Amino acid sequence: MTRRAPSNPSPEHLQREAPRRLDWRDTGLFIGPALVALALVAVIPTLWAIFSSLFEWHFHRPDARAFVGLGNYLRLAGDPRFLNAVLVTGVYTTVSVTATLVFGTLLALLTRAPFPGKGMVRALLTVPMIMTPVVSTLVWKTFFFEADVGLINWVLGFAGIRGPAWVASSPYALITVLVVNIWFMTPFVYLVMDAALEGLPGDVIDAAKIDGANYWRRVRFVILPMLRATIVFTVIFRITIDARMFEIIHVMTGGGPARDTEVLTLWVYNSALRGFHLGYGNAGGVVLMLLVGAACLAIMLVGLRDLYRRTGST
Amino acid sequence: MSARRGRRLAEAARLLVIALAVFIAILPLLWVVLASFKTAADVSQLPPRLLFTPTLENYHRVLDAGFAAFFRNSVIITLAAVALSVALGVPAAYGFSRLRVPAERPLLLFVLSIRFVPYIVFAVPLFVILARARLVGTHGTLIVVYILINLPLVIWLMKSFFDDVPTDIDDAAAVDGANRFQSFALVVLPSTAAGVACVTILSFIFTWNEYLLALVLSGRAAQTLPVVLTRFLGGMEDPVRWGLLSASSVVVLAPVVIVTLLVHRYVRAGFAGGST
Repeated sequence: MTRRAPSNPSPEHLQREAPRRLDWRDTGLFIGPALVALALVAVIPTLWAIFSSLFEWHFHRPDARAFVGLGNYLRLAGDPRFLNAVLVTGVYTTVSVTATLVFGTLLALLTRAPFPGKGMVRALLTVPMIMTPVVSTLVWKTFFFEADVGLINWVLGFAGIRGPAWVASSPYALITVLVVNIWFMTPFVYLVMDAALEGLPGDVIDAAKIDGANYWRRVRFVILPMLRATIVFTVIFRITIDARMFEIIHVMTGGGPARDTEVLTLWVYNSALRGFHLGYGNAGGVVLMLLVGAACLAIMLVGLRDLYRRTGST
Repeated sequence: MSARRGRRLAEAARLLVIALAVFIAILPLLWVVLASFKTAADVSQLPPRLLFTPTLENYHRVLDAGFAAFFRNSVIITLAAVALSVALGVPAAYGFSRLRVPAERPLLLFVLSIRFVPYIVFAVPLFVILARARLVGTHGTLIVVYILINLPLVIWLMKSFFDDVPTDIDDAAAVDGANRFQSFALVVLPSTAAGVACVTILSFIFTWNEYLLALVLSGRAAQTLPVVLTRFLGGMEDPVRWGLLSASSVVVLAPVVIVTLLVHRYVRAGFAGGST
């Protein structure tokens, strides 16, 4: 259909066509306060973190701080406790992101077709996400993972398995915090995927069905490719959440046993706020920030480049 | 005939998996609510007692432990923090959606990038700076600092809600002689009421549940419930204290769970939009 030129241009029409005029006063009043507030609480601390990471700086001896340039970063590279934290963060984030992505997507696919009580099911599936993480971790720790009178070892007992001291022994402690994290974050992936599936064009999927593609082939070759951008952004959001995760680990294991679960967030907390080595701790924080940024960028580049290549070839 | 039977089996399996997922999702909540009404003798029984004589004893102990003051801290800090972020964020989102903003994309990316920075990176400098200014342990400090977790969310979600409102109604308002502020407050904002509800509820949930910043910055005077819970319930391994743990947990959970189940539609919309 060709667009008709309006025979009688209305004032509204003229206004919409005109480029928006920059009005410093209006723009400043609407967005200024929010940006100033964010600069105060976010930019200043971030710059301070980077600045302090260049110093040998002890919280209780602020006058004795000494400029060391990149010295803290060089020390980090040879610090086994820090490198352990990098490794634990990597394993923790990778396992948790992958598992939540698989479970959340499967759940969204499974709840696609109508069934009785669907609204209720969707509401209840969000419960892990909105529960206060400190509380849910305490519940998992005391009632479910407890070694002697916990639910999980009681259930395992029926299979003749003597369950381990989950929270206190290696490698089970890491599994424990991962289970809680996966339980906590699967609903997020579920909700995003559920909304994305709802927005897919039904006719394409129907066409594949008529062409004789079975359910799993439709998922694999029709539905998932259409969800690619959503999946990329979900993975990025999930990485940022897991990489900053603090409360589940702090409450469940405190980083133990033997630093099995000491992720970078906890390492920075221990170094800077418990050990009072501000400069050194913040250097670790800056590394964490850079690692998260690099991971997100890599996922975005790989995921979306592939997306453009695919759409380009069809 | 067998194909139909296969389909029925598949359907039954599907419903079974969904039921299992729901069960796992809500088991911790169910467990802790039931446990909070159990006596010390009942609470550690396995198999769990589903039929028991409920007791309010645990809740009395929570009250005796001075939980009311911490509940008050959480309520004050959460409500004020949410109000502040909504008051700052909604006009900013309108500005990004409707006005010409210099360097609009870099500014929006800056706002978004705050959500990608691990909170510990902010927490350490904030502690040092605020401790020197003797501001650690006040309600106001946490209220302002919670801009960090809420404001980027409010701006991004509200911008998408404003973008969905056709600009025709702004134009109509302008023709009727409304200035920018009248057009925003009287015309555009009312048509995004659902969006405002959505960001308010999400901010409420995230602020109420927040732990790390509260742990570092709340001192003694402004401790919020999640912090108190971990401090005051050390040594929970002892089943004698499980009732107390459960009752205080329920007190912490009640506001977010009730709000979420009442207005679930908005919560779902917000999470589906990528809020975390």
